[in-house]
Amino acid sequence: MLKNYFKIAIAVLKRRKFFTFISLFGISFTLTIVIVVAALTDHVLSAGYPDTARDRELFVTRMKYKGSKSGSDISAGPSFYFFEHYVSKLKTPEKLALISHNYATSTYINNKKMVTQLSYTNDQFWDVLQYQFLEGKPYTKQEIDNAEKVAVISESTRNNYFGNGVAAVGKYIETDNIQYRITGVVKNVPLSREYFYADMFAPYTLSKEDIHNTDLIGDYTGVLLLHSKDDIDKMKTEYNQMVAKIPMLSKDLDLRFTYADSYLEAFTRGLPFGNGADSGIGKFILIISIFFLLFLSLPTLNLVNINISRIMDRYSEIGVRKAFGASSKTLVYQFIVENLIITFIGCLIGIMLSFIIIQVFNRSNIIPDMELSINFRVLLFSLFACLVFGFLSGVFPAWRMSRMQVVSALKAQ
Amino acid sequence: MLQHLFKLIWNKKKQNFLLIIEMLISFIVMFAVFTLVVYFYQNYNRPMGFEYENVWTTRYDNPAGMSDTDSVTEFRASLKQLVKAMPQVAEVAFSNVNTPFSDATIGGGINHGKIQARTNLYSADDAYRDVLGIQLKAGRWFSKDDMGAREKPVVINESLKQELFGNDNPIGKTVNDHDRVVGVVSDMKDEGDFTGRKNAVFSRVDTSNQLWGGVMLIKVKPTADADFEGRLYKALSGAIQNKSIEISHLDKLRTGKNQRLLTGVIIILIVAGFLVVNVALGLFGVLWYNINKRKSEIGLRRAVGASGAAISKQLIGEAMVLATLALIIGTFFAIQFPLMNVFNLATNTYLIALALAITFIYLLVIICALYPGRQAAAIFPAVALHEE
Repeated sequence: MLKNYFKIAIAVLKRRKFFTFISLFGISFTLTIVIVVAALTDHVLSAGYPDTARDRELFVTRMKYKGSKSGSDISAGPSFYFFEHYVSKLKTPEKLALISHNYATSTYINNKKMVTQLSYTNDQFWDVLQYQFLEGKPYTKQEIDNAEKVAVISESTRNNYFGNGVAAVGKYIETDNIQYRITGVVKNVPLSREYFYADMFAPYTLSKEDIHNTDLIGDYTGVLLLHSKDDIDKMKTEYNQMVAKIPMLSKDLDLRFTYADSYLEAFTRGLPFGNGADSGIGKFILIISIFFLLFLSLPTLNLVNINISRIMDRYSEIGVRKAFGASSKTLVYQFIVENLIITFIGCLIGIMLSFIIIQVFNRSNIIPDMELSINFRVLLFSLFACLVFGFLSGVFPAWRMSRMQVVSALKAQ
Repeated sequence: MLQHLFKLIWNKKKQNFLLIIEMLISFIVMFAVFTLVVYFYQNYNRPMGFEYENVWTTRYDNPAGMSDTDSVTEFRASLKQLVKAMPQVAEVAFSNVNTPFSDATIGGGINHGKIQARTNLYSADDAYRDVLGIQLKAGRWFSKDDMGAREKPVVINESLKQELFGNDNPIGKTVNDHDRVVGVVSDMKDEGDFTGRKNAVFSRVDTSNQLWGGVMLIKVKPTADADFEGRLYKALSGAIQNKSIEISHLDKLRTGKNQRLLTGVIIILIVAGFLVVNVALGLFGVLWYNINKRKSEIGLRRAVGASGAAISKQLIGEAMVLATLALIIGTFFAIQFPLMNVFNLATNTYLIALALAITFIYLLVIICALYPGRQAAAIFPAVALHEE
């Protein structure tokens, strides 16, 4: 039966080439956009180099003070002091990785300026994040405690500073008027991994900011690595209990907000959706869905219009089939299947187009080292989108068709 | 004639309903796109309001532990002295983190009597206006005489003046109950070439109101090169122990800021463009099909003496009436934006966008109906009637 539908669908496609072109153009372009956006979202939100164990990680990215009376608030990253005095005392996590925000530091060599984004880390950072070392190894706890001037640099920093592929371990690099001894070189991280991107990593003891400053607001990000993903709820509870015990900053700013979040929660909390204890994930997904539906509505309507015209074209065929006893249900079913077949052909073209666009994007280096890909998840999502799209645009015309009177359909001939 | 067209459309209301919805949504999409484009174009056409060429910025902070007013004042004076002594430096000014093109903004409220307004807040010292070349429209800029003034002097920009004072002279008036307006400057597009009108209040950097660090703006001479920047960097790193020095150039920051915005707009335009092509093809297909269906009707009209031009006019007219119906509904929604002041844009931005969107939809419909209409005009009555 399905084989018959398929044959009919192909025959119909061949009959009105112009309509076929319009349908396929609409479907494939719409799905191309959906797939590219999905690939981008997938890249930003899912685990990947160097952050591979995301399912058992929680992120501490924000510290916010708020005055319950005045309504004013201050929000930034938590400070090193906060992590050292409170978070590192927690029992649930296996490890705690700390990394500061990027500091732009400069070197001037031969009338040329080189800007290096420098981040300060602790030693466990290298255990939690799986940076791939091209040569050398990370600095040790010993070196950090001694405040030795050592650093791990990225591949592109090495290539810029020493030349392509020249071994750099043991050599010295100067930035911000300080000479650092290089202990390791890591593979580049794309800018889109906002917490883990840096051109150069150095021990936190070298930071110019005063690490003994007791302010809880600073510029560090913490990653809590748990023993297993079952510990997540336990960890969040323990974290919130700890936060409740922190003394108040001042009378004006009497409320504190800081959370151990999954990556997605930390992401939406940074957008304007998050508010207080609510990370805003629900709102985020709602708004994305509304946007998605609005975007799909125009191509869908267009396809519905085209499909109605196509069906009217087959007035007589439908009349004959009805006269010979085909039920409305069978006809609706047939038409939806036909439409899904067309949609899937459009979907295939869409996947090819988005594959080309993604290749062009990766080659263009608009965001260096950012490698988008159409992986299994993205493919699954686009197939789902395709199904929804095909179904939506097929149902209404099919329903219209099924209500057609046999007499009028036959008379039209 | 028009009545007749309406009747024809009403008879096929089921079929036309979806077409109207499609035109309506296209119109709303185009209205949004045109609003964006018109808004950015209007902003782009306004003058910058300040000069960003040869201005460099860097953060600075007091040495660790320094917190009393006298030593901070002294530290800043010596820092300024150090930088100004370099031959390629023309002028130095202190400000807060919200320097032009910096991504940082500081906002707050301001009032004059009962009139309230939201505004950006800037900290500026006596040299700030010279460094950025801001044009003074009325009154004066800050000077040494303002030190220790009983009423805090503030300078406002033209947009804020318009909002708080209308056409009155603001000089000498009181704002926030205890601050005095001493000058009015032109609006600065300090968030990039496409920034909209923003209110601004400048207050004088003073160790009594800003003890912590901020940003230094350095106006250099055109001869300053990377070599000089290296020397400046060394000197600043020596003087400012507590902060990583990063020298940025305002012209480069501006380019980056504009590029980021333009990338977003171009992506939106590409997507909107594809949607429009999609809709155009769809409309064309449906109209063409409808006309093919009505061959006998058209043939009959030709047979009783209608000219080809009249037929083609009728079909285009029908499409236009459909579009008009969609546009009336669409305009009803679109007009709510200026009426309810949804995004705080100027009314004329919306009106221009509305006019452009309406014209665009009409043009689109005419173009899509033109070819099918011509085809219909070419129908021979004998052939069409023979088919029946």
